[in-house]
Amino acid sequence: MSTPQEIDEAAVSDLEPQDSASSALPASASDETDGRSASRRRALALGVAAATALLAPRRASAQRIVRPLTTRPAPPPASGDTLLRLVRRITNGVTEEELNLARSLGFQAYLEHHLNHEAIDDARVTDFVAANYPAVNQDVLQLYTQNQTTVQYALQDATLYRGAFSKRQLYERMVNFWSDHFNIYYPKVNYLKVVDDKDVIRKNALGSFPEMLKASAHSSAMLEYLDNTRSRANNVNQNYAREIMELHTLGVDGGYTQTDVEEVTRAFTGWTIQGRGGFRFDPTGHDFGAKTVLGNTIPAMPTSAGAQGVTDGERVLDILVAHQSTARFISYKMIRWLLRYDPPAALVDKVAETYTRTGGDIKAMIRVIMTPANLTAAPAMYRQPYHLMLASLRAAQPSVANVAALRDQLRNMGQYLFFWEDPDGYPHNTDWWGGLILQRWSFEAYLSARTGDVLGVDVTKFMTVSTANAIADSMNQLAFAGTMSASLKTRVAQYLAAAAISQTRVREAFGLALSSSEFQWF
Amino acid sequence: MSDIDHDGCDDGCTEFRQLSRRQVVGGMGAGLAGAYFSPIFPSWLPQVVLKESEDTTRDVIVSVFLRGGCDGLSLCVPFFDTNYYAGRPNIAVPRPDSGAANRGIALDNQFAFPQAMNALVPAFRAGQLLAVHATGSIDPSRSHFDAQRYMEVGKPADTTIATGWLGRHLAAVQPMRTNAGLRGIGISSGLQKQLVGAPKTIPIPDPSNFTIGGTASTRDSRESWLREDFGASAEPVRSAALDALTTIDLLQAIDFTGYRTANGAVYPNTTFGRGLRSAAALIKSDLGIEAISIDLSGWDTHSNQDPLAGSMYNTMLNLSGTLGAFHADVIASGLAQNVTVVVMSEFGRNARENGSMGTDHGRGNVMFAMGRNINGGRVLVNNWPGLAREQLDRSQDLKVTLDHRDVLAEIVRVRLGNPNVGVVFPDFTPTNRSVTK
Repeated sequence: MSTPQEIDEAAVSDLEPQDSASSALPASASDETDGRSASRRRALALGVAAATALLAPRRASAQRIVRPLTTRPAPPPASGDTLLRLVRRITNGVTEEELNLARSLGFQAYLEHHLNHEAIDDARVTDFVAANYPAVNQDVLQLYTQNQTTVQYALQDATLYRGAFSKRQLYERMVNFWSDHFNIYYPKVNYLKVVDDKDVIRKNALGSFPEMLKASAHSSAMLEYLDNTRSRANNVNQNYAREIMELHTLGVDGGYTQTDVEEVTRAFTGWTIQGRGGFRFDPTGHDFGAKTVLGNTIPAMPTSAGAQGVTDGERVLDILVAHQSTARFISYKMIRWLLRYDPPAALVDKVAETYTRTGGDIKAMIRVIMTPANLTAAPAMYRQPYHLMLASLRAAQPSVANVAALRDQLRNMGQYLFFWEDPDGYPHNTDWWGGLILQRWSFEAYLSARTGDVLGVDVTKFMTVSTANAIADSMNQLAFAGTMSASLKTRVAQYLAAAAISQTRVREAFGLALSSSEFQWF
Repeated sequence: MSDIDHDGCDDGCTEFRQLSRRQVVGGMGAGLAGAYFSPIFPSWLPQVVLKESEDTTRDVIVSVFLRGGCDGLSLCVPFFDTNYYAGRPNIAVPRPDSGAANRGIALDNQFAFPQAMNALVPAFRAGQLLAVHATGSIDPSRSHFDAQRYMEVGKPADTTIATGWLGRHLAAVQPMRTNAGLRGIGISSGLQKQLVGAPKTIPIPDPSNFTIGGTASTRDSRESWLREDFGASAEPVRSAALDALTTIDLLQAIDFTGYRTANGAVYPNTTFGRGLRSAAALIKSDLGIEAISIDLSGWDTHSNQDPLAGSMYNTMLNLSGTLGAFHADVIASGLAQNVTVVVMSEFGRNARENGSMGTDHGRGNVMFAMGRNINGGRVLVNNWPGLAREQLDRSQDLKVTLDHRDVLAEIVRVRLGNPNVGVVFPDFTPTNRSVTK
C-alpha cells in the first residue's frame, strides 16, 4: 500500500488533509468518497494533528516521524481525445474495429449507436450463447430439471462470452453494473439467478429503473436471497426491506429510519415464491394493518381484501422510485460506474433531475453523464478483474470454442462471477482491487500463451514484420488500437529485443503489455 | 434455502459439505490428522525461527472479521438471563445444567459456549481466550456496510477516513523487522478496509499459490520488466505491485503444503481453516509480518439459524475448529513470537428470534481476544444490559455497554507496542478494561 507520509516537525503545524474537496455525497454508496462536509474534515484534521503530536516524544529515538494517511491517493489522469475516452468508458475494452466505428460516427452518434442496443446486430454472439449455454434462455421448470452445476457454469460462461464479444458493449457494461447493484449470491438461490439475470437485469439494463426495481422485487431469486420468502405477518424478516432501501433505492443516508425498515417489512409480508420459482402473493402471510412509509400512510385493509394486499408492497415500490434520494443515489452510482469514482455534486444534481423528469430513464441519464466535457475532466478508473479479463480478450481476439477455462482464472483474480456473498455487489474501488496484482499478471501470462482451437491466441499477426520495434508497433495497432503510450511501446520492444525473437518471445511480450500498469486503468 | 437444490454450488458450499462429512466421520480432527504431516521436514521449520526477530516484545496481530453480523447471543450464551430463553423459543442453546445433549458448555455461572464452540474451550480454560460481551461499535447503524466500515476505519460515523485502524497502526510504528519485505497480509481476494493504508501490505488469497505464472526461464526478466513498469504507476497499485514482486520469492521459499503444525493441531479443511494454517506458517517463517487480516462470512442468519445443528452450528464449528487449532499450533506452542488474535463482527442480532427461526440485524455483540498475554479465561462485561424488552436498544437489541475500541486500543498499546493510539483510533479516549495481563 501507499507509503505513509514522512513529515518533519515543521509540517506538524500545517496538517491539511489531502482529500479532494468537491465530492458529492451519498457517501454511503461509495468506498471512494472523500468527504461529506468541510467541518467533518476539519475535525478530522484536528484529530490527526493531536494524534501526531503524541508521536513527538518518540522523535528522540526514532529517525523519522510518519504520519499515517487517512485519505486515498488520487487516480492517474486519463489520456486520449474525448472519443477514445468515450470508447474506453462504454465498452469492455478498446479495439481497432470499435475505435474506427466511433471515429466514423462521431461522438454523439456513436453513443446513440450503443444506447440503441437492440438495433445492433449481435446474431453471432446470440447464436453462440444459444448453442453453447442453452440454460440462460430457459424457464424455471426447464432449469429445475437440469444438472445444477451445468446451469451455473452456463450463466457464468455466457456472461463472460457476451461481455467480451457482444457488439452491444455499453449494454454489457450496464448489465455488469446492475448485476452488482441488485447483487445475488448464486449458491443461495441457484438456478433462480439465471432467471433473474434474464428477466430483471438484461431486460432492463438500458431501460427504466422503476421497471427494473419492480421486476427485482418480484424476482424469485431476490425474494429468496434476501429472505422475503420467509417474512410473514407477526413473524417478519427485515432483510429485504432494509436492503431495498439501503442498497437498491434510497442509499443508507437517504432519509429512512429503523421504523421505516419495520414498516416496509410489514408491507412486503406475503411476497414469496411458488413451486420451482415465480412470484406469489400469499394473503395468509400478509399484515393488512396500516403502515407509514417515509411519511406516506398506507391505509389498513380488511383481511378479506385477500389478494388486494399485494398493493401495499407495490405502493412502497412507487414511493421508493419517486423519492428524491433514489434519484440521487442511482445517479451517483451510475456516474461512479461510467465516469469517475468521485462524482461532482453538480453532475449528481443534473443526472438526478433527469431521473426525476424522465421517470428513471437510464438512457437519458447516461446521455447527461457521457459528455465530452465530463469525459475530459474524468481521471482514469481501475479495472475490476472481470473488466480486465474482457479487455484482454478483446485485445487478444482469440479463437474461442468455449470459455470454461476462464471461469477459474477469474476466480483466481478474485471475481468468480455471481459469488459475491453480500448484497452490496463486488466493490468498485481501488482499495479493494488495487492490491491483488500478481494474479492479474498470472492470468495474462496464461492467456497470451494459449494456442489451439478451444482458446487460441494468434500472435503471428504481429510478426509480419521482423524488428522488435516494428513488432511492438504492430501489436499496438492490432491489439491495442494504437492506444499504447510511447513508453510502454518502447519497453515492449526492449523486452522483444533482449532475446532472439520467437513466437514464444512475442507471446510473453504481449502478456507483459496486457499486464502493464497502464492496461489496469481505463 | 427451502427446497432449492444445492448441486449448483461451486465453492460456496464446499466448506459446508466438508464439515458435514467430517462430522459424520467422527468429529473435527480425527479424519484428516495425517494429511498435514509431510515426511520431509521443511528446512525452515520449526521452532528455530523468530530468534532472529529484532523485536519480539511486540505481538503479531491476527484480526478475524466475522462478516454478516454474528449472533453473539448464540456464540456466547447468557444462559442466566431468562429473557434469552423467552425470546428464542426455537433457537436457544439449552442451559449447561439441563439434561439436553446439545446443552451449553458453562464458561462461568452466567455464560456458556454452544457445543459448536467446544474447540475453543481449552484456550478459554488456559486463560488465554477472553470473551467480551455486550460490546460493539457505538454507532447505531444496522447496515452491514456502514457498520463494517466504521469498525474497520476505527471511527464511528466518519465517512472521511479512507484508511483502516490496522493500516494506520502499521504506518505509525517502525517495522518489527528492518527491511521486512512484507508487513501485513489480508488473506482475502481484496484488501480489507482495516488494512488500507498499511505500508508493505497486500491481499494474498492463498499464500501457497503465489506466482506470476508463465515460463520459469523468463520469470526473472519478466519480473524486472514489471518492476520497472509499475515503478511509475499510481498508488495504491504501485506499492502493491512492488511488494508483490518482493514477496514472490519469500513465499515460494515456504513449504506451505508440508507445513508441520505444533501440538498435533489440525486445521479444518475449509477456506478459513487453510487461511489460518497459512497464517501460522507465515508467522513461524519469520518474514517480519506483523498483521494478518482474515474474514469468515456466513453470519447473516436471517433464517434457519440453528446454532445447535444447522447453518450457524457449522459456521461456528469452522470458527472454533480453526481458532482452536491456531491456539494449539501457535499460541500454546511456546513460540518465541507472541501472537494476539482479535475476533469481531459488525453488529449482533436481535435478542428475539424472527418469524423464520433466524435473527435480524441488531446491536451489542460478543468479541474475542486470544493470546498468551491476554487476560482471558473470563467473560468481560461492563454491566450486563439485560434482555428484557425495556432493557433492549429500540426494544429489540442487546445494548452496547463497552466500546469495542477499548479492547483494541489496549491491545494496540500494550501488546503491539504502539503508544500512538490516537492515530489508530482518532478522537477516542479508551477506557482501560484490563484486557491484557
